[in-house]
Amino acid sequence: MSEFVNTTPQSSLRRSMLCRVQETLGAQFAEHQGAIVVRHFNSQLDEERAQLKSLAIIDLSTLPRSGFKGREAPQWLTDKGVNIPETPNQAVKQDDGSIVARLSMQEHLILSDLAISASLPAKLEQSWSMQSDVACYSLPRNDSHAWLYLTGSEVRAMLSKVCGIDLRDNEFANLSIAQTSIARINGILIRDDLVINGSDESSSAIPAFHLLCDSSSVAFVWESMCDAMNEFDGKPVGFAALLNEQ
Amino acid sequence: MATTHSTNSQNNRLASGGLLIDRSQTLNFFFANKHFQGFAGDSIASALAASGQWLISRSFKYHRPRGVLTMAGQDANSLVQLPSDPNVLADKTALVQGMNVDGQNYSGSLEKDLGRHIEKVGGFMPVGFYYKAFYKPKGAWEKWAPLIRKKAGLGVLDENFKPGYYDKAYRFYDLVVVGAGPAGMTAAIQAAEQGAKVLLVDENPVLGGSLSYDRIDAQGSNAQALRLAMIADIEAHENIEVKLDALCNGYFADNWLPIIQGARMYKVRAKELIMAVGSLEQQAVFHNNDLPGVMMSSAIARLIRLYGVRPGKRAVVVTGNDHGYAVALEMLDAGIEVAAIAELRDAPIQSDIVQELASRGVAIYNNHAVYAAKASSDKKHLAGVELRKQIGRGKCADSGEFIDCDLLCMAIGYTPTYQLVCQAGGQLSYDDETALFTLQKLPKALQIAGSVNGNWSTDAVCGDGYRSAVLACNRLAQDNDHISAIAEPAPLADDSAASPNYSWPIFPHPKGKEFVDFDEDLQIADIVNATRDGYEHIQLVKRYSTCGMGPSQGRHSALATARIVAEATGRSVAQTGVTTARPPFAPERLGHLAGRSFYPERFTSMHQRHLDAGAQMMQAGAWYRPAYYGTTNQRDACINAEVDNVRNNVGLVDVSTLGGIEIRGPDAAELMNRIYTFGFLKQPIGRARYALMTNEAGVVIDDGVSCRFHDQLFYVTATTGGVDRVYQSMLKWNAQWCLDVDIANVTSAWCAVNIAGPKAREVLQKVCSDVDLSSEAFPYMGVREGHVGGVEARLIRVGFVGELGFEIHVPQHCGEALWDALIEAGVEQGIKPFGIEAQRVLRLEKGHIIIGQDTDAMSTPQEVQMGWAVSTKKPFFVGQRVIKELNSLGQLRALVGFVVDDLNAPIPLESHLIIEDDQMTGRITSCNYSPTLGKPVGMAYVQLHKAEAGSEIAIRSTGGVMVNAKVVALPFYDPQTQRQAL
Repeated sequence: MSEFVNTTPQSSLRRSMLCRVQETLGAQFAEHQGAIVVRHFNSQLDEERAQLKSLAIIDLSTLPRSGFKGREAPQWLTDKGVNIPETPNQAVKQDDGSIVARLSMQEHLILSDLAISASLPAKLEQSWSMQSDVACYSLPRNDSHAWLYLTGSEVRAMLSKVCGIDLRDNEFANLSIAQTSIARINGILIRDDLVINGSDESSSAIPAFHLLCDSSSVAFVWESMCDAMNEFDGKPVGFAALLNEQ
Repeated sequence: MATTHSTNSQNNRLASGGLLIDRSQTLNFFFANKHFQGFAGDSIASALAASGQWLISRSFKYHRPRGVLTMAGQDANSLVQLPSDPNVLADKTALVQGMNVDGQNYSGSLEKDLGRHIEKVGGFMPVGFYYKAFYKPKGAWEKWAPLIRKKAGLGVLDENFKPGYYDKAYRFYDLVVVGAGPAGMTAAIQAAEQGAKVLLVDENPVLGGSLSYDRIDAQGSNAQALRLAMIADIEAHENIEVKLDALCNGYFADNWLPIIQGARMYKVRAKELIMAVGSLEQQAVFHNNDLPGVMMSSAIARLIRLYGVRPGKRAVVVTGNDHGYAVALEMLDAGIEVAAIAELRDAPIQSDIVQELASRGVAIYNNHAVYAAKASSDKKHLAGVELRKQIGRGKCADSGEFIDCDLLCMAIGYTPTYQLVCQAGGQLSYDDETALFTLQKLPKALQIAGSVNGNWSTDAVCGDGYRSAVLACNRLAQDNDHISAIAEPAPLADDSAASPNYSWPIFPHPKGKEFVDFDEDLQIADIVNATRDGYEHIQLVKRYSTCGMGPSQGRHSALATARIVAEATGRSVAQTGVTTARPPFAPERLGHLAGRSFYPERFTSMHQRHLDAGAQMMQAGAWYRPAYYGTTNQRDACINAEVDNVRNNVGLVDVSTLGGIEIRGPDAAELMNRIYTFGFLKQPIGRARYALMTNEAGVVIDDGVSCRFHDQLFYVTATTGGVDRVYQSMLKWNAQWCLDVDIANVTSAWCAVNIAGPKAREVLQKVCSDVDLSSEAFPYMGVREGHVGGVEARLIRVGFVGELGFEIHVPQHCGEALWDALIEAGVEQGIKPFGIEAQRVLRLEKGHIIIGQDTDAMSTPQEVQMGWAVSTKKPFFVGQRVIKELNSLGQLRALVGFVVDDLNAPIPLESHLIIEDDQMTGRITSCNYSPTLGKPVGMAYVQLHKAEAGSEIAIRSTGGVMVNAKVVALPFYDPQTQRQAL
């Protein structure tokens, strides 16, 4: 389990656009692998872990992500050892926990592993250069999109209030992607079930979705999600509870 | 409201029974200022009935007393007023503790309605009278209209009503079954068995449909046993989701169903759909058939079985089917005396139920009709009926037998609940032999089952449900592995012999008042007269007579209307048909349609800093931007001070909402060259160029700054409101051109500030050490990459506000840090933020246009003095051909600058007109007081002969005050552009 060092959003040049609203909700911020995250809203970790299982929203906007687009992007990524999905609107989880989401034949989104230990988005960005002749272009996904993670048994019911996609288990398999309107905002929805480790070495998966939306709209999306979650007693949860489950 | 506190005891409540009520929970409520009691689970109407309050409302036209008719929300009789809610269906609305209910459409009191006297002049108000009566003499309508409008409409709106919270949710199922009666429940169970994920929807609070109140055997126990067995199966099946108190209120293409439950509308998509929506009972048409106490047989059954309410003490049944006998047995078991059965047929078809009734000694009058009903002395309830022998279709003998009774049970037949099915494309046909409507030509993936499909016996109804489920699942199994296919059942035996419809239960009376449509008091003569006035088509009859246009939408009048119109026009009922059924099926609230509205908002990463600095925020599209910093009562002073600080010192403005597009690849310069009017092939790396965009019609649609950071990388800005259109336009054009480029809208990836003013460099260099900011190294319209305040940044030397300025673009999440760094660095120089209003003044002083404000849908580059931004050398750009053509035709107008020298004159506003010889010759596009020049300055479209500097123009300003202005050359400020080149 990774270490957290308590701090404030202002200690970093990069700040989540939700940090103000999170402060009003009692967030304790911490530095984790270079990213300033909400460590917790409720100091009782077990309560936040339980919330993850029912309905929770977690802001991952300060975690690394990148994107690559272009005619030769699939080959470029493959050459870098990245396992890319065969078809659009599918994602593949890499061995290191990173997620590669294929948004179209030529566009890919790379999300960091939650522990931020693999650094795949950063490694790929560092190995990319405008100088090369390859038709593969880096996209500024760290900033163009905010990143939320929605978890819990009620997450589909909640999402059905803001999104018109059939997210049922048998219709929208794990690691499926929907690029759609969510609360009237364009969003990328990636199903990535959260595996909960039990005390007896057993594990179970609870439904979970990554939601990436325009970063300038994330405060509106956050408010809309929280409103939709009220019915199910959904709450924001800190990163510590999530990482505890990894 | 004054109330009478005498409690009306529930003296009509049966000692036992009442599926829906909880006798342990007594609820108090008020109706028409009187105190009543009911039980939890009661509807308003059942609770009133339990205490003998049969008068619920007054009819629309004649103010006739009206009471329970269907007990199913299918009639306007039960419309009542709640404090914040008019036109509430009393027979469908659950009773709530403390509820305050009132009747509607009365003058004085519900019991003694002064409006009832209007019936005495009913003879002067035939159908369509208001079309003919109120338009002559000329001007008469203006006098009549207030009176008529006062009478029109039902209920009272609460003007202090506060909207509730409504929302919507999407749902998806393999199969949706609408209607949880025996057919629907059977279908759901069977489909679930085959693996389908099923939604079973019913508008009622319990499963069972007719099984919850109907009697299907002589002893009256089989229905309940069957219902409970089915419910157990449904509850045990994980594949079935049940929604009760949920109304499927329409059908839309591809099995899209709006299902309303509580304050939510579910938007449901079904791969397969089974409509097991049952049938709607129809009334017999005879004199005074609308009196309280005259009810559908199903209403009586519902009162007894669902609410444990005795609907009367002495009943007569008029019937053309076995259901009338079953309900007669129900009434006998409930302790109601059944005085007689008027059997419309020659004789009943013998069955266990009929034999059981006969064994109880009830008199049966074969081939008899109810010719007329008689009102009680207070005119508010049924007192008896006159039975007469039928001597022909719709004709009765000259005399008959009068029987005292306070309850008349009508069991003459049904129409299928065709509304949703017809919305889906089903066609209604009429079989003269069975006197039944049938539904045919159903669309793909939709089936009907049960009585809506012409099945009447319980076995046939359930068999039809099973059949439909197997057919649906077998189709689903072709594409869904989790659903299994089984052998299709044999076709059902013809159940039409069990048709409950009597062919002609319509009996005209010399005194009329045989109501066809209760909603608007339409009688037989009204329907016939509509056809005689030339409105023979059923759709025209509807519109002329308003039959079927009331709250119940013809649900209890469709069959009788079709029959009367058919006879009056010499056609068959099949040829006559019924009117179109459109969504919604039942009244729905605007809140359900609106749901929880989403109005997206966008914020820059510096938003909190603007609030901290006291900004007044304004919206530009979805964006929130600082208008100015300070209090609203100091608005102009704040803006002027911000302008002054930029001109003389240094200011900082958030320009994050500017659009940003990156064009990369070997053909990036070529794409720029084709999209924008200027030349970009030779734009040097490290330089910026003004980029003007026109559409195919040569009209200016956007502008920005093109920054070349690499041979194959252009970063071009766009207007806040135009960037999405610019991006889409680029994608569209390149879909044709197939240039080797990548186009990315990076608006939200970057935020930006403009630090402007003579001390801008001085401040910036404190926090930017890796870029040489000197004028020589970083000249006007140069672009550089470096770090500002530790943040990686793109720097652009621009002059939008006419001063030395640097636009600094940084990654979005670093915007607040950038803002903090610059504000802190500029303390010594007196840096202050400035808002959009000051920026507008500054750019106006500099003569810079704003696309969309200073341009319109006809503006060409030449008109807005942007001819210099259009390359005449390159072979192509979007709009080039039209611009050349327009230029060759000669210019008609020009955008010019003007000043108002009279400081006492009102400052012209945008869109004020320029007047010459009483003609409109132009308009103002921008105008502000210029603190720098000390007078109002602006831009306006003028005719060419007024475009020369020095021309005088006259502006019609606020209140029609004419303001003289003088055309001057642009820009107003720093014409040598020395300030921005510092």
